[in-house]
Order: sequence, then structure tokens, then C-alpha cells
Amino acid sequence: MRASLFGRRATSLVLFALVAVFILGPLLWLAAHAFATSWTYPSLLPEGLTFHWWSVVFSDPQLAASVKNSLYFSPLTVLVSAIVCLPAAYAFSRFEFPGRRVFLIGLFATNAFPKMGLFVSMASLFYGLHLMNTIAGIVIVQFIGTVVFMTWIPAAAFSSVPRALEEASRDAGAGAFQTFLRVTLPLALPGILVALLMSFLASFDEAQGTYLVGAPVFMTMPTEMYSLVLNYPKQVAAVFAILLSIPSVALLLVARKYILGGRLAEGFQIR
Amino acid sequence: MTLETSRHTLPVAPLGAASPSADHRAGLVVSGLTKSLGGRTIVDSFDLRLRPGELVTLLGPSGCGKTTTLRMIAGFLAPDSGTVTIDGRDVTNLGPEKRPSAMVFQNYALWPHLTVFKNVAFPLTVKRLPKAEVTTRVMNALETVGLTHHAQSRPAHISGGEQQRAALARAIVQEPGLLLLDEPLSNLDAQLRVRVREEIREIQQRLAITTVMVTHDQEEALAISDRVAVMNGGRVEQVDAPSAVYATPATSFVASFIGSMNVLTSAELDRVRHGRAEAAGPSETGGPFAAGEPLEAGEPLEAGEPFNAEGETWAVRPEHVVFRPAPGGPIEVRRILPHGHFTEVVLDAGGLELRAVVTGEAPREGDRGDVTLTRVQHYRDGLLTASGEAR
Amino acid sequence: MTALRSGAGARVVARRRVSSESRRRALGLTLALPPVLLLAVFVGIPVVLAIGFSLGHNGGLNSTIADIGTGTHSATSWWGTGQAYVDVFTDPRFLRDLGVTVFVTVVSTLLVIATSLAIALNLRLRGGRLATVFAGLAVVPLFIPVVIASWAILTFYSADGFVRTAFALVGLEGPTWGYTTIAVVIGSVWTSLPFATLMATSGLQSVPDAMIEAAKDAGASTRSIVTRILVPLAGIPLVIATTFTAIGILGQFTVPYFTGPNAPTVLGVDISKYFQAFNRPQESAVMAVVVFALASGIAFVYVRANFRSAKKEGRI
Repeated sequence: MRASLFGRRATSLVLFALVAVFILGPLLWLAAHAFATSWTYPSLLPEGLTFHWWSVVFSDPQLAASVKNSLYFSPLTVLVSAIVCLPAAYAFSRFEFPGRRVFLIGLFATNAFPKMGLFVSMASLFYGLHLMNTIAGIVIVQFIGTVVFMTWIPAAAFSSVPRALEEASRDAGAGAFQTFLRVTLPLALPGILVALLMSFLASFDEAQGTYLVGAPVFMTMPTEMYSLVLNYPKQVAAVFAILLSIPSVALLLVARKYILGGRLAEGFQIR
Repeated sequence: MTLETSRHTLPVAPLGAASPSADHRAGLVVSGLTKSLGGRTIVDSFDLRLRPGELVTLLGPSGCGKTTTLRMIAGFLAPDSGTVTIDGRDVTNLGPEKRPSAMVFQNYALWPHLTVFKNVAFPLTVKRLPKAEVTTRVMNALETVGLTHHAQSRPAHISGGEQQRAALARAIVQEPGLLLLDEPLSNLDAQLRVRVREEIREIQQRLAITTVMVTHDQEEALAISDRVAVMNGGRVEQVDAPSAVYATPATSFVASFIGSMNVLTSAELDRVRHGRAEAAGPSETGGPFAAGEPLEAGEPLEAGEPFNAEGETWAVRPEHVVFRPAPGGPIEVRRILPHGHFTEVVLDAGGLELRAVVTGEAPREGDRGDVTLTRVQHYRDGLLTASGEAR
Repeated sequence: MTALRSGAGARVVARRRVSSESRRRALGLTLALPPVLLLAVFVGIPVVLAIGFSLGHNGGLNSTIADIGTGTHSATSWWGTGQAYVDVFTDPRFLRDLGVTVFVTVVSTLLVIATSLAIALNLRLRGGRLATVFAGLAVVPLFIPVVIASWAILTFYSADGFVRTAFALVGLEGPTWGYTTIAVVIGSVWTSLPFATLMATSGLQSVPDAMIEAAKDAGASTRSIVTRILVPLAGIPLVIATTFTAIGILGQFTVPYFTGPNAPTVLGVDISKYFQAFNRPQESAVMAVVVFALASGIAFVYVRANFRSAKKEGRI
């Protein structure tokens, strides 16, 4: 009995270690390279430690520009996406209108077409509309990837606000808009926060579309990362990878509670 | 035995015909309210008139349309037809925020992101009242319900009874022309329910707020209402004082819904009656009540009329079934159900089950005897036609 | 008199009701339209253009690309021409890569669902600190940009990566998985695990304790609780997790581009290669349509599962 209990405990610890190595191993291994002078197989440790690669990144004007571009485009895209999609999310949750379900599924169905295959004709369209190498063009191409997050998750969040709470507000003399602002919105906020976060990550992570529309005028961190991997020493790419992960990890810490609490999962069940 | 004509042959007095009083101002007038949802008529020409300061309960089984009616009065649902007038003002076409009514919701609907104080203050802040006035009025309301010590608590951190009171405070702080209570006690445990309902009644009377309450609990309805409106299938069956609803149910539905009731067919009543010697005359017509017994004018029970026709029922309250032990009697005591201050006795009258109430010494199971029915109601096609009282 | 008045009132109310309801519909539609229209323009039109181009409709917005590209066929009938499809489907390279794509998708999806289900079941049935940390760990990749993840995985499993280093420490020759299809599978599992885990945990957590306890009370083993209570009750979120994972892996580009071999590769990479490196945009469009058709088939399963659950719960 005792032995089997110990055995089970040991098994789960070994499993845990395997999963931990599988998930975190590549990240830590990569991160370690950012501080290594050089690293040759089969040594487990680098030959020396240095901050040299960090200065390489920070002194390269092209790389610095991409950091700035990323920090400019992603918040802008999230803002645009929120303005366009949040009212729609509310409508999907609280209004019955013809085509509601078809639209909801249609928004998702756009993900089924492989992005790569889309870019050929998308390029033609963007040229035709004079959106190539423009800020608007980049925002639009990044916006596409945020729509599902920004409509589905908030729609579920709005739906989870009991109607009685809204009715109580109307009964207390508040109009429709005031009710939305003072009751519905604050209660749906965790879900909206998750949507904002997922949209930020989707936009921050977007590389192919941004490259297609923005390159070579506007390079963002992920698009720069593609060429970086090929043209710079591994350590520079590692430094850049750490920089690229900082916003995401910061957001992870902020929204961990809500995401693990099922807000994200809730959003993907059509109502 | 006397039969007297019921004053309640019509479920509701037609509007306008009633209220001969000098004061024509009514707290609430609902007239002809009708609502169909999904092809089904949920509420069917509902009429109700409340005096200012009166508390009327809408009572009925689930699905009878009482909640739909309340939601139409509150303005959450637009009626298909009919009007709602509060304090003399027609509010039928107004949204809930424009009506002078305030509602206490079944699950209280307190906003979890606001403190109790802010919940109660909400109706005043949306009206942009000055801060000082808001504070005074909120604290007054909280004091009325005895919740000042929880002003800064979140709804999730107070008990069910306290949440109920916070919801009540949020309603009365608006000084509403009409207070609406939607099953306000259904989420409280039995003991608390009795206490809170008395508090609600006390506050309602003190502030003299015209109030409509919805409940499916008849004990609750009878205990705190000025009048009770019993609903069934979207229609009002009877509106009357609790004692009248209990003593003289206007329809066979009300008779069986309110309290405990023996409902018998004419044949069954006859069977019960044959077991007893006195109290009513011989059954010459085949009915339980002999021709020539005193009946008031306009009484539908006419001499020689057969009583055991279809659609005729008789209702007897257990407390009007008097059991007398008599060895060898036709009626047998089947079961004894002690209730504390009285005993309910299940009797077997030749295969027919009859319930009686005994206040004194209880008989024992297997005892035999006979019964006297001291008060009987007669219904034809569900409507009360006569009440009979043994003298 | 009374009858007349009440009749008039009824008509007024009825008119108001109809107008307020249709106003609500119109408002709902208006609010919902902007993202729908934007996607219709910026995704819908390109999709239609790409499908048209694959069928040889080379006019309009497709004309530039049709001029530049080589091996482009033009429409021969009103619906176009199937010649590009013939070219693609007789290309052994495409058939091989289609096989690899399906293999990677199926294997990765199975691994992702099995792992996420195991993590979720462990959290639901055993709970505790370790189980929570486990589930939290599986969500970490959600926050790592795919570019970085792909590259990190490549370096981790490459010839001079950690795995080979660890093997070398104990005197063994470790496997080199970098630039192999195995690395593509590893990368796909790594990037897809968070979403599936979130769906599975949320689905299993929503099964009430009482149902599990009732089954235990009836003498059910852990195994039958899992297979007969938990998995069926969490069925919809699991179907959603499966379809999203499969669709994501089917059309992916970044992970196989970084971690996989030059050949054979998956269609997501081929689409880009045929367009850019081989300058055969029409064949690239054909492949995109093929992936789209496969993904649509998977999406259909998802939509049906959702409708079924909606019907079961009486939502429609």
C-alpha cells in the first residue's frame, strides 16, 4: 500500500519533470544563449558569460526600430479591434437578429483558410486599395487575427452577466446606455480583459501578413526575427527572443487568474 | 343546513363597476393585460386594482402567469394589449426606468461589483441627485431594513437574509409609487422566511407603499397580504381578503389550491352523508340537500335539480369534517397525522378518503364512527354556486 | 364606450411592440456588421480571388500575379479550368507533402488531446498543488510568440542542442530531431497544448462534483468515471479543442518553416515556396484551396457539435 502510494507519487513526479522539460526546456535553453560568449557541443555549460549580445541588439538601429514598431502597432490594433468588435460582441450576446449565428461562425471560418494561401490575393487587394506599406494596411492585416478573440470571448462574457442585474438597473431608473456602462461592462470586464490580451498577443505575434504589407518600410519584432535567425549569431536571436517575450509574459502574470479560470475556454462555445 | 348564494360567482368584479368610494385615486390599476409568448397565452385579460398603500399578492402554481404579469407591471415585458396605470398615470408605454415602480428581484439581483451602499445609492445616482442627499437617503433606507453596519460590504460577503434586505433597501430608497416583490422569500430558509416576511410587511405598512408581491407559497400570501389574487392558467380566479379566499373559494381551483380541502363528487358526498344520521335533511332528490331548504333569491340550486350531474363538485375543509367515534359506525379511522397543535385524521368512508381535523383528544387508527360536514361549498363548472352551513 | 377605448389601447400597444422589436433587430445587426464587413472585404474577397485564381480566372485583381507567375492556366469555360488542379495532383512532391501534412496534423492533434485530457483529468480527479502547477505549465506556450517557440524548439533538439548534450553527458549518442518531421510534430504539440488544455480543464471542471460522487457511490471505478461520466459530459469542449487544434496545425507555416526539413514539408510551407521560390502562384493557390477544403471539413464537425449541444440545452 505504502509502496504503491510512493510509486504513484514518484510516477507523477517523473511525468511532471518530463512535461516541465518539454515546455520550459526550449525556452530556458534559448534564454541561456543570450548570456553566453560561445557554446559548443557537447558542453552543458557555455564557455563564458557576457552581456555583449544585448549591446549588439540595442545598438542596431534596425532592430531598435522594429521594437518601436511592434510597441506601436500592437496597441493600436487592439484599440481598433476593440472599437470595432466589442459592440458586435454585445450584439451577439444580447440581441436576436437575422444572420446572428451565421455571422458568428463566419468570423471563425475565416481562420480555416490558410493565411499563406491568402496572401497572394490579399497582396493584390492591398495594392488595389493603396494599403501596401501603410500603417492602416498593417493594422488591418493584424486586426484580422484578433477578430475571433475580440468578438467571441467578450460575447460569452456579456452573456454570463445575469439579465436580472441589468433589469434591476433599468428598474432603478438607469437607461440602456447607463446600464451597460455601470452594470454590464464592469461585470464582463474580466472576459474583455482576456480578449484584449489574446488580441494583443495575436497582433504582436503576427509575422507573415505584417511582412507582406509592411516590409521593408515597417518591420516589427516578429518579422525581424525571421531574418535575424538566418543572419545573426544565435545569441543575438536569443536576446531578441527574450525581448519579444517580455510583453507576453508580463500580460500572462496580469491575466493568469482569468485565463485559467475558464474565461478563454468559455468564449469558444457558440451560444 | 343553510345554503347561501356566493358573492363571488364572478372571479373579478369588472373594472369601473367596483370602487364606489369617493377617492378614485388608485395605487395601481391593471386592466385587460394580455400576453402571448410562442403562441401560448400566458396572461389572459388580467384586471387588478390596488388602493394606495395596499399589499396584494399574486398567488398561483408555477406557470400560472404571475411572474409574467409582474414583469409587465414593471415594464420588462410589453403587453399584447391592456394598460398599466400607477398613481393615476398611464405607464403602459414606458420602459422600466421611466416607471415609478421599484422591484425586489427573486435572486435579489444585487450588483456584485458594488458595495451594499453603492447598490442602494445606484437609483439615486442615476438621477444625479446631490451627494449629500444620496448619502442621507441611502443611510435612511439601510436603517429601515437594519443594514447600516453592512453598508461597505460586498453582496457576496453578507448572508441571504441580509442580501434580501439590501435589495429591499434599494427598492424603497427610490420612494416608489409601487413596490414589486418577485418571490422575495423563496431563497431563504423556512425560519428566516417567516421573520423576513413580517419585516417586509411592517416596513410596507409603515411607509404605506402600494405593493404587488408574487409568490407560489400560499401560507406566505395569506400571512402578509391585504388581498390575495389567485391565478391559474393566465387568469385571475379570485381576488379577496386572505380570510375570504380561504373561507369561500370562488372557484374549485382556488378551493383545491388554497389550504387542505376534500373535493368530492355529488355521488361521493352522498356516500359520506349516508353514513351520518343528522345535520342535513333526507336526500329525496338524489342530491345532498333537500328541496325546500332555505336558498336565497337567484340561487341556481332549484328544487328537484339533479345534483350528481357532470361538472358538479363539493368542497369541504378538513376542519369542517367533524368525526364522532361510534362503535360500528360506517366510517373508519385509517391514519393519524399529528401536527402538534392539532391532529389530522385520514378517514375511510367506504373506500373514499376524507381528511378531518381533530383539536381535542385524537381517535386511534381503526376506530369507527360517523361524520358531520359543518360547512360545504358547491361548484358547478368550477364556479362557486353556493355555500352550505350546518346550523 | 369602454370596449372602444380598450380596443384602441390594444392597437397602440401592439404597434409599439412590433416597432421596438424590429428596432432592436436593426440595432443588433448594425452593431454586429462592422467586423463582419471588414472580414468579408479583407479575407472574404481574397479567399474568393484565390479560389478563382486556382480555377484560372486570371482577370481583375488576379491579373498582375497571373502575368508574373509561370505555368499559369487560363479559364477555358464559364467556371474556369481544372488544369492547375491536375498539375498539382499529378505532382509527386505535392502528394508526398499532402501525406506529411495529414500525418503531422493527425499525430499532433492526438498527442495534444491526450496530453491535455490527462492534465485536465489529473486536475479534476486528484487536484492538489502539483496538478494545478501542471495545468499552469501547459498554458505557458500561449504567451510565447510562435516564431520564438519554433526557434527555441529547433535549438533545443538540434545537433548541438540540449537533448543531445544531455545524452552525451551520460555517454550516449542522442537523436538529432532538428530539421526533421519529428521536430514539426513536437513544435505543433508545444504551440497547441495551451488552448486544448484550457478547453479540457474548463470542460471537466464544469462537471458537478455530485455527478462524480454519485458514480463513485454506485461503485464505479476511476476508469469508468472517466470514460462514462467525465469525457461524455465534457464532450463539446473536447470536440472544440480537437477541431481548433487540427485546423491550426493543418494550415500552419511558422513551426514547420523553422523546425522542419526542406523536404518533405507540409502544405503551409509549400504554399509559400511555390509562390515565392518556384514562382508558380496558381499551384500555390490550388494547395491553399486544398488545405481550406480539409479545414472546412474539420470546421463542419465543430459547428455540428456546437449546434447539437445548443439543441440539447434548449438554446435553439
